[in-house]
Amino acid sequence: MQTFLQYTILGLALGGAYFIAASGLVVTYTTSGIFNFAQGAIAMLAVFTYWQFRWGWGWPAPLALLMVLGILAPLLGAVLYQVVMKNLRGTSEVTKIIVSIGVMLGLQALATWVWSPTSSTPRQFQKFFGPNAFAHFGSLRVPWHIIISFIIAIAIAVGIRFLFVRTRSGVAMRAVVDDPELLQLNGGRPERLAMISWAGGSFLAALAGILIQPMIGSAMSAGALTLLVIDAFAAAMFGRLRSLPRTFMGALIIALTTTYVVAYFPSKWTWSSSFRNSLPMIFLFIILLVLPQDRLRGATVLRLRERFRMPSIRTAWIAGLTMMIVVFCLKVIMAKTGVNTLTLALTFAIIALSLVLLTGFAGEINLAALSFGAIAVMVVYHFGISGTGTEARTTLWGILLAAVVTALVGALIALPALRLRGLYLALATMAFGVFISRMVLTERTEREIFGLKFTLFTSGQLAIPRPKIGPIDFNGQDAFLFLCAGLFVAIGIGMVYLRHSGYGRRLTAMKDSPAASATLGMSVVRLKLSIFMMSAAIAGIGGVMMAAQVGTVNSDRFDIFLSLALAMITVVGGIGYVSGALFAGIFLIAFIEALNLMLKKFAVDYSSLEAIFMFFISAVTVLPATIGITMGKNPSGAVSDIVEGMNKVKQSKPLMITVIGLEAAIWALTATEVITNWHFVILTFANLILVPIVGGKFLMARAMRGVPKPVPPELIGIDRPFTDEDLAAMDQALNLDGVVIPSSTTVREEPANASA
Amino acid sequence: MSEAHYHEDHGAVAGAPLVELVDVRAAYGTIEVLHGVNLSVPQGSVVALLGPNGAGKSTILKVISGLLPPTSGEVRLAGRMVNGASADELARIGLCTIPEGRGVFPNLTVRENLWMATMAGVPLAQVEEIAYARFPRLGERRKQLAGTLSGGEQQMLSMARALSVNPSVLLLDELSMGLAPLVVANLYEIVAQVSQEGVSILVSEQFARTVLGIAQYAAIVLHGNITRVGTPAELEDELSAAYLGS
Ligand SMILES: Nc1ncnc2c1ncn2[C@@H]1O[C@H](COP(=O)(O)OP(=O)(O)OP(=O)(O)O)[C@@H](O)[C@H]1O
Ligand SMILES: [Mg+2]
Repeated sequence: MQTFLQYTILGLALGGAYFIAASGLVVTYTTSGIFNFAQGAIAMLAVFTYWQFRWGWGWPAPLALLMVLGILAPLLGAVLYQVVMKNLRGTSEVTKIIVSIGVMLGLQALATWVWSPTSSTPRQFQKFFGPNAFAHFGSLRVPWHIIISFIIAIAIAVGIRFLFVRTRSGVAMRAVVDDPELLQLNGGRPERLAMISWAGGSFLAALAGILIQPMIGSAMSAGALTLLVIDAFAAAMFGRLRSLPRTFMGALIIALTTTYVVAYFPSKWTWSSSFRNSLPMIFLFIILLVLPQDRLRGATVLRLRERFRMPSIRTAWIAGLTMMIVVFCLKVIMAKTGVNTLTLALTFAIIALSLVLLTGFAGEINLAALSFGAIAVMVVYHFGISGTGTEARTTLWGILLAAVVTALVGALIALPALRLRGLYLALATMAFGVFISRMVLTERTEREIFGLKFTLFTSGQLAIPRPKIGPIDFNGQDAFLFLCAGLFVAIGIGMVYLRHSGYGRRLTAMKDSPAASATLGMSVVRLKLSIFMMSAAIAGIGGVMMAAQVGTVNSDRFDIFLSLALAMITVVGGIGYVSGALFAGIFLIAFIEALNLMLKKFAVDYSSLEAIFMFFISAVTVLPATIGITMGKNPSGAVSDIVEGMNKVKQSKPLMITVIGLEAAIWALTATEVITNWHFVILTFANLILVPIVGGKFLMARAMRGVPKPVPPELIGIDRPFTDEDLAAMDQALNLDGVVIPSSTTVREEPANASA
Repeated sequence: MSEAHYHEDHGAVAGAPLVELVDVRAAYGTIEVLHGVNLSVPQGSVVALLGPNGAGKSTILKVISGLLPPTSGEVRLAGRMVNGASADELARIGLCTIPEGRGVFPNLTVRENLWMATMAGVPLAQVEEIAYARFPRLGERRKQLAGTLSGGEQQMLSMARALSVNPSVLLLDELSMGLAPLVVANLYEIVAQVSQEGVSILVSEQFARTVLGIAQYAAIVLHGNITRVGTPAELEDELSAAYLGS
């Protein structure tokens, strides 16, 4: 009984803190329609800042609290809204999700930068009123901190309800969701209300973080804290991001269940702590599964700012071939470490392809691509290796089996996808990812099921050898590099074929309007299921290749934050394109690595400026997130910009010859070791980026004299008569080259006949 | 003919124009929808904007209400140029707009909807009093979500806002949309009363018959231009041409 009471009280307090975090989510979602994935990161940052003030600098608690909760947290929220979130009007749900994930990763990188996790003294966070302040109820001792937490949670619940029902600003915040324009016509200021609500949401996150940290009692860790508050997502979903009472109930149920697991599961069950940690995510998954279905919405056609052009099959083949040649040329001049990095980058690019297929083609989201990779790796480790020692090789059958298993798991995860879209699906996959890393990848003990003995993640390390396929052994680094490049190209070209097929068109239709697709008699269920399975299989194959490149992988390789970063960078690269995936892999692995190496080399070479270069090295950790955040401004992705630049090159022969010629010269100089690889990188960069821009400007200026600006295809025919050239241009723009349509003359003659 | 004629004939009689558009052009993205519109609404009069679907009537109202900034030209309110002003600023200085469709917040109750109207400066008690006195049906349903009201009741609710915030200019877009003729007649009776209290009113409407009964002037909008302005009697013939295409 004593235990029960003790844990119940703890659970109530934890539930209170979860509720506070979740209510912040509800408030911001209500007014801006953006689900703030960074909620946990804000809480984490607040905890670290509070620690700095309170224990780092020894401020008194009230002052530190005032500074963090009263000033810094609301300020952060307001600035986030003004600088980042405001720009997201009219973008797709994917962009909204990715940008807020970018904020989350950015804040996290920032925290690890400022508060180095390797610092010698672990940062401890104490309960309010000290660790020994207890209230006594009979024989029961309850820390004051716990009591305070629960009281604050109730006060917040009452306060928010009061705000939303009894104050005009609160009611106006609800009105913003219904119709911001109408609110403006009433004289309200929707932008200001949204900003205030973000300030409030950020305050609530900070409060929740400061209350939760002492309850868990362990040393502070940026990643763990970020994820801890993410547990509150489940509570917010339980309230369907609207109802506060339900959110409160959800928070209590989740918190109580987790504390009871700690209290009553036998301590000899090695998995019970993993289970406790993944419980909120299991809840989230179940809630999403049983959440009443969103009605298919088709009535409102959203004008999105994202645009993707489909490359033709011919372009795909040329691009694939070019890529193989480029990889070969790079290999010739690269050092061995460089080849390693490039291979790793390609394996990540393959995993990113699964995202392009799923999100870019079908509009569904997967935030846990690497978790599928982890599953595939486990399958290969247990069933797909022949030989031992240096003779060990991954078999083709092992890889195929891994693909099949991940496809099946993908189908399982697609279950919520069959009913949900966008945000809910993103959360479901994230729940799956966190579940995998908390529950499955921590499985080190041997288990026995039906007499079969096995360990899922043996000793925390899985050694995956390079594959041998038929007679071809890919054990050598070069051979493996070409295997990965070839695999990427093959899957990429396959995807372009798919996109051009009837199946691909059905996918696009489903992406644009699930309701219309359903009324046309398409089986949306089959489409979704199959696309999820295919995507999961690709992620699995990529994961196996990644593990084979690394050699021995531990669970960190499949970290959920890495999955999130990959998804984010793929969207930045252009989620609608195969090249976007390549960009993601190269950027996330090779570019960051190269930048780091270069800065380190500079720091050594110019030791007087070391401090500056060390600063930049830290800044590089924040770089990907910063780039993710800029998505609000350019939702079609970075690659589309580069491609636009390249188009200029393609249109002008002299420019193309210049660029290719220069590049060949640079390469030749490097291959003959006249210049170093660093020069190669820098010169290549300059050649590919700067020459088209400068040359393009020059050529454009010449060509544009007297030539009218090209009319965008959707405007053709509106402000001047439609000509045959227009028709041809339109066909090209819409990729209708091969499609037979009635000739333009008959089209135009018809009305004449009709009126005659 | 249109512009000069209009001023000569009626400008002096009805006093200074409260709303004035001078050579206004407006575009959605790159597509220009209004190609130089000139229009004035004299104080205390009802002006009807008539024209077929897609002519640009709603766009004219959007430009005046501040939701869509004009690409060139001038929008004047009581003689002051208000081109750069935002919709909420204009609403707070006495411009009331009832947009196309139902101008209510569906997930707010009737009372909360009226509460939002107080942002223009009138206290809630007064807004409620005026609204419920005029539309007793709303008084019975003050706790009901506006989205669950019938179409007519929703239009009453948005009209209630127009009546209670004491505007000097009222913009109405398609008041009649989807409503029974009797309800429409009722609503326009109220519009006529409001105009008698000195409010200048600009109404966009398809339902020409009803609105012409109360309008002092009418302007015909075609392809983003105002092609003709005059009293309802003068426009009788053109109207049938514009609508019936004969
Ligand atoms: N948000 C928008 N984006 C692009 N074009 C628009 C937008 N709103 C209206 N248009 C276009 O502007 C033109 C004028 O539209 P407007 O709504 O002003 O017409 P209207 O006269 O009010 O028609 P109706 O009687 O059908 O309401 C139409 O061709 C319409 O397609
Ligand atoms: Mg209209």
